[in-house]
Amino acid sequence: MALLEVEGLSVAFGGLAALSGVSLAVSAGTVYAIIGPNGAGKTTLLNAVAGYVRPASGRIRIDGRDTTDLAPHAIARQGLRRTFQNGGVWGEMTVLENILVGVDHDAQSGLLGILFGFGRDRRTERRAVAEARAILARAGLAGIEDKRVRDLSFGQQRVIEISRALVSRPRILLLDEPAVGLSESEREELGARLRALAQEGTAVILVEHVVDLVMAVSDRVLVLNSGQVLAEGTPEEVRGDAAVVEAYLGSA
Amino acid sequence: MSRGGAAAVAALLILLVLPPFFVDDYVQFILDLILVYVMVSFGFNIVLGYAGQLAFANAAFFGLGAYTLAICLGRLDWPFPAALFAAAVVGGAAGLLVSLPALRLRAYYLAIITLAFGELLRWTYVHASGLTRGSSGLGVPAISIFGIPVASDRARYWLFLALAGLTLWGSANLLRSRFGRALVAVRGNEAAAAAMGLAPAVVKIGAFAWSGVVVAIGGAMYALLLGRISPESFGLSQLLLHFSIVMIGGLGSLVGSVLGAVILTAAPELLRDIPGLEEIIFSLLLIGVLLFMPKGVAGLLGRLALFRERLYLT
Repeated sequence: MALLEVEGLSVAFGGLAALSGVSLAVSAGTVYAIIGPNGAGKTTLLNAVAGYVRPASGRIRIDGRDTTDLAPHAIARQGLRRTFQNGGVWGEMTVLENILVGVDHDAQSGLLGILFGFGRDRRTERRAVAEARAILARAGLAGIEDKRVRDLSFGQQRVIEISRALVSRPRILLLDEPAVGLSESEREELGARLRALAQEGTAVILVEHVVDLVMAVSDRVLVLNSGQVLAEGTPEEVRGDAAVVEAYLGSA
Repeated sequence: MSRGGAAAVAALLILLVLPPFFVDDYVQFILDLILVYVMVSFGFNIVLGYAGQLAFANAAFFGLGAYTLAICLGRLDWPFPAALFAAAVVGGAAGLLVSLPALRLRAYYLAIITLAFGELLRWTYVHASGLTRGSSGLGVPAISIFGIPVASDRARYWLFLALAGLTLWGSANLLRSRFGRALVAVRGNEAAAAAMGLAPAVVKIGAFAWSGVVVAIGGAMYALLLGRISPESFGLSQLLLHFSIVMIGGLGSLVGSVLGAVILTAAPELLRDIPGLEEIIFSLLLIGVLLFMPKGVAGLLGRLALFRERLYLT
């Protein structure tokens, strides 16, 4: 059974249909790309899946559980993490603190423990910091952990945002144009990282403009156009689809 | 904490415990008042600075703390610890209540509705005279803690010091914990916070409730200090004072709250002899800070690299 199922999803802003009757199914351990021209509804689809936009009709299920009407934080707690197109890092926090927010979710400590620093809470905090440091080391960010995020480059902020999303080992990861602003080598690194994540069993859903990256890393590709599914299949199938070439790839 | 840090804290504690042996009643009163306003401004700062909510119910929390303590002590004959606990609980509950419109309303609407809440309470103190004795004011009886009377000015100062120390220490820990990070995360980018599984509503409610507790304890201390409270102490001018302390000290800074309280409590005493000067200096100070030092005195010190505040434990 698919880990994420979207069935007949429609979203309207005012009278304008942003998505109409979109269905898709993503299995664990795969990279699933959503492509399409500007205004095709890609980000709207991500926002609906993550709970930021209420659909007019259709259902969304995670691991068989209906999440259509849940709030974003409740959907996140189902094991879903997302990144934002415009960056969702906290600029006034340090790199380490950004990661710590991701670590915090499974802390178990009472109010009194926090207030007066009882032993268990101190240990929880120390463990969280150690875990966050380990994550930063793996992402190659150990040297800048005390820097304020707003002082870093856009590419570094991107890496931090993705690292933060991965802290809680999500079952589903939604990435909104992660390759924007990255250099060629950073893109390749990102692609390798996404493949590795899928290998570990994560369902990676990728909204992306960079067609080369999409074709290289995706198991399946969904092409959206004017809020509707134009084609869906393996990268080869989609690349050969006449309607897709006409609407999108041809002009790229 | 490093050994040097522990030594510094110990030295500071000794320094804070000593003043009653050296100062006269008048200076002692000012020191007590500073401790009250440290509590008040820090509690306000949680909502205004850390949570970034434009809510002005601070004088309301302050008044509720003062009146709850006075009523529990004088009317219900409760022992002091129970009355103080009640004041904290009422303050926390009021904070929770005020947080509910904060979940829906933005900026100016929230400011107006919280101002109205404060004025409504002030009106209630005047008219619920069966409980509050209305405009003529409610006396606060002398207290004792577990049988030990807090009779002298000295004992009262030490009690205040203990209350403020415990509350601020707890609050500093709270803001350095995952709760503090959640607060800054929600303030900085609510959508991103929700994406990490944080419920923005719960975080905001928690901040308001904790603010209510801290400010209400400050209000209870104020009632003890004055010995008699009346409704006009908890109106707009009280709120303006709280706001000025936070802004001049530094928004979102614990150290700033302390500095602001010291400056704005001590300064009026020095200016008292010339009528009107106090208000003029106050206004100029506030305007100057807002225009030239948006992060207040604490921000200025930080810029001069005299100290740098670390909000989070890292």
